[in-house]
Amino acid sequence: MSLTAEALTIGYEGRRVIDALDLDIPEGKVTAILGPNGCGKSTLLKTLARLIEPESGRVLLQGDDIHASHSGKLARRLAILPQDPLAPDGITVGDLVRRGRTPWRGFLSPWREEDAAACARALEAVQLTHLAERPLNELSGGQRQRAWIALVLAQDTPLLLLDEPTTFLDLVHQLEVLSLLRQRNRDTGLTVVSVLHDLNMAARFSDMLVLLGRGGLVATGAPDTVLTPDNLERAFGLAARVEPDPVTGKPMVCPL
Amino acid sequence: MRGALLIVLLVAGTVAGLLWGQVALAPGALWQGLATGEGPAALMIGTIRGPRVGTALGAGAVLGLSGALFQTLFRNPLAAPDILGFTSGAGLAVVVSIAFGLVAPMPLVAAAGGILAALLVTGIAWRRGHRTPPLSIILVGLGMGFFTSALSNFLMTLLPQAEAAEAQRWVTGSLAARDWGHVAQVWLPGAALLLAALGQARLLETLELGDDLAAGLGLRVEAVRRGLAGTGVLLAATGVAVAGPVPFVALMSGPLGARITGATSVAGRLLSAAGAGALVLMLADLVARSALPGIQLPVGVMTGILGAPYLLWRLSREMDRGKL
Repeated sequence: MSLTAEALTIGYEGRRVIDALDLDIPEGKVTAILGPNGCGKSTLLKTLARLIEPESGRVLLQGDDIHASHSGKLARRLAILPQDPLAPDGITVGDLVRRGRTPWRGFLSPWREEDAAACARALEAVQLTHLAERPLNELSGGQRQRAWIALVLAQDTPLLLLDEPTTFLDLVHQLEVLSLLRQRNRDTGLTVVSVLHDLNMAARFSDMLVLLGRGGLVATGAPDTVLTPDNLERAFGLAARVEPDPVTGKPMVCPL
Repeated sequence: MRGALLIVLLVAGTVAGLLWGQVALAPGALWQGLATGEGPAALMIGTIRGPRVGTALGAGAVLGLSGALFQTLFRNPLAAPDILGFTSGAGLAVVVSIAFGLVAPMPLVAAAGGILAALLVTGIAWRRGHRTPPLSIILVGLGMGFFTSALSNFLMTLLPQAEAAEAQRWVTGSLAARDWGHVAQVWLPGAALLLAALGQARLLETLELGDDLAAGLGLRVEAVRRGLAGTGVLLAATGVAVAGPVPFVALMSGPLGARITGATSVAGRLLSAAGAGALVLMLADLVARSALPGIQLPVGVMTGILGAPYLLWRLSREMDRGKL
């Protein structure tokens, strides 16, 4: 399922954050959106998910303008996990994940076999099957984030967007979350787009990077073509060397 | 199933409400009156206590349901229609209609007042380009409540004495002299609105996850919010039309109902709130009309006495949790 931005211009609270951006999100790949704070990463992601209306330009999902599409039908093709979703009081992990089936259920339609199967698959993918009956607020931060990811996986869309899914997690839990998304991408062909902060993690787990600076798009492409000293200087004003990661061979950013 | 506990409490409360009052009936007399339809018990139940208890149950249920709906919608235990000024707005509309001798059905007048108050509160709290924080709605709503109550009081000073006394009783919230017409007036629209609320329970459940995730799950967030708020205002107005703007029932019923039944699903919490509201208003009325010999207090005085300490406790708790 291809996602394309055409001449996208986005304002946020009266400020223009993205100006005439063209972008192709490749199908079946893992893409990370990177850039300094306040450059409009999250705003771009929310616009790609039709949560923010652009000032001009279009976002096309398989050729359909998403801001003109039926929201309920779109939710079967594109899922988004926002940065700070709200957990209802006392909700269990299983109940939370079941809410991911919303776009597939009609008004008053009963709970079906396929809904249960999708939830079971989602819980298994994030390895929380054994905790399904537990209240969400008894879980650790990493487990909780995996439960939220299970909710959007249960939505069963070919395209998943995530807004900073690793920001409040320690290194081990970051690895856990990113590798489970990578695994899901390999197993099911899920297209993943996330906003990330950690450049090295992004290089390690992504096929494609989108690097934004304050003035707009700096570079886009495979990690080793995007993460160059030149681009880092332009995006972050950061002086850095880029060496191959001794473990993966992917580019590794070493600030000077 | 703890829902059964609430039902048992409701049945027991209803029996108590029919038995006790300024004159107590023996359970045998109640049974005989119900079975044969004859005797003083049948008369008392058929014309006085029956409609009164029926109205209290219905009005309490719609107020409780309305409270739980707004509390879930705003994610704030203080966001009930009595705190937000919607019920006193509905009350003001009724006083205006009494004062100016308007001939219009009371429920419609109350609904119009409630909706107007709700629109004013959200309109005043609204700021362009920003999401309205629940706290500003609550504060504006409190102001609206004081303002509309003051206007009601002012209008009453202009009325001739008999009508003023009637309006005064009404504005406090009273269930005196209800007939079966009142029962129908609250139960019929109440049942329809209950179905409407339960039909929207799944939407509310999705909305609870936050606006962005709800929109990602395909919800048209603003339209859903308007539908829920509209249902909530109409529920509150339905209660106000037959019982007056009784304070605190809407505020207390949601948390109380959830405490009794332990319900976690939205539909379960809404039903629990309706049951708890019915119970609270009926018991408050029972105490109000039988506690002092020879004097029947308006039920609003009783819920005020019950509700004010609850509000203070809730306020201090929310402040401790840093939510205010």
